[in-house]
Amino acid sequence: MSNWQTFKTGIFKNNPVFIVNLGLCPTLATSTSLRDAIGMGMAATFVLVGSNVIVSAIRRAVPHKVRIPCYIVVIATFVTIVELFLGAYQPDLYNALGIFLPLIVVNCIVLYRAEVFASKNGMASSLFDGFGMGLGFTCAVLLLAFIREGLGKGTLMGYPVIPGFSPTGIMVLPPGGFMTMGLLLGFFSWRKLRTKEHK
Amino acid sequence: MRDPLDVKRFMFTVVVALLPCVAAALHFFGLRVLVMILVSYAVGGTVEVLFAIVRKEEINEGFLVTGLLFPLILPPALPLWMVAVGVAFGVIVGKELFGGTGRNLFNPALVGRCFLAIGYPVAMSSNWIQPGGGLLGRLTEYVDASHLDAIISATPLAAAKQGTFADVSDLFWGNVSGSVGETSAFAVLLGGLFLILTHVANWRTVLGTIGSFAALGGVLHHVAPDTFGPAGWHLLAGGLLFGAFFMATDPVTSPITNGGKWAYAVIIGVATVLIRNLTPCVEGVMFAILLGNIAAPVLDEVAIRFRLRRLRNER
Repeated sequence: MSNWQTFKTGIFKNNPVFIVNLGLCPTLATSTSLRDAIGMGMAATFVLVGSNVIVSAIRRAVPHKVRIPCYIVVIATFVTIVELFLGAYQPDLYNALGIFLPLIVVNCIVLYRAEVFASKNGMASSLFDGFGMGLGFTCAVLLLAFIREGLGKGTLMGYPVIPGFSPTGIMVLPPGGFMTMGLLLGFFSWRKLRTKEHK
Repeated sequence: MRDPLDVKRFMFTVVVALLPCVAAALHFFGLRVLVMILVSYAVGGTVEVLFAIVRKEEINEGFLVTGLLFPLILPPALPLWMVAVGVAFGVIVGKELFGGTGRNLFNPALVGRCFLAIGYPVAMSSNWIQPGGGLLGRLTEYVDASHLDAIISATPLAAAKQGTFADVSDLFWGNVSGSVGETSAFAVLLGGLFLILTHVANWRTVLGTIGSFAALGGVLHHVAPDTFGPAGWHLLAGGLLFGAFFMATDPVTSPITNGGKWAYAVIIGVATVLIRNLTPCVEGVMFAILLGNIAAPVLDEVAIRFRLRRLRNER
């Protein structure tokens, strides 16, 4: 598979959130506003790319039995970098993301790619895979945040969109997140079924 | 409830039983009630027809009851677009996504109301109308949120939290503010007894709900008479009677077994008392019935196991 295909797979065919159904917790928690969603998506993408490359580089040196702890150490290093960086330069975003920033360490998408892809492939394709998966995750969070912030606060990126629109507070609360997620997951499964039938 | 003739008979009986409530609402809150019912039927009916077309199924009468129940559990001066949004949400998420009439887990009208109550908490707790007095009441008026002199912010239950209790006879005849259909306990009882006599509503559910509600309410009042109102007063205030007769007895979302029905009714009655008296929420019937709906399949399962075990022992 070419690097470009690897990259595209992460966004569409193998989207970590909508198709593989991983990382639902951070997706639901950080999709209450577009600003948080962008921050979370970028942080996760950085960690994914970094950990994918390093895991791929050390894949022959790591004994099979202790591979998961090794991956976690690598991932935690990158998460710490992101955390310190955001804490220093983007304190608002840092506070808004809260616990979900350090929790990227145990984000199943990152571990999933390390285990399934990076530990079996070269550094270049792991890099593209990390970018693709990271962007796929970012797109998913952005889509959710677009719907939830738009309906729940009547704003996008904090700016009001439709004048006179009265927002439904429920959409930025957890129930609204679950409903949006459920409907989107249903839509993507339905699409997957339909494309299968056509083939 | 699979027989189509049975569904039809059931639906029309409920609609007939709701007529006293609609009449009382017209008398106390004016002609806007009719407009709310029309909006609810039009929007909900459209959604229903769209789903029927997509599924290539026949349109059934399932919506007749939901479309009438829904406006009856809303504040009478609620903006009409909210009625439309709520009924659309209730029908789509509460019913159609579960597979349509007869397959839903929750009462669709309550799902719609719950969505509005959480999504627009201010509108859902402030658009109450001061009921009209006299022989005609507000029968010839159209009162909406722009008639500021007719709008009041507190229902009897909200006022009770501040320590003012409405008169019991007002509660009984309906001369109090509240949701459209729940205002007159007399009208609710009239329709409700009709439902029970025609065997459309199960008497166990109704009796269990009201009984457990009165029992626990009585105990609370006995323990701290200053904080909690008497059980009889609470029974007539708010939407308990309406919920017990018309919402809890929905054959689709309530248990099938008799044992399950009793347990389900007690859950609703107890949860209503607890939510009303011990939380900041003013009214708890909606959440209590939704809670009962969640428990219904499990209660059926337990009741059937009990019966099976007894049968085995007898043998």
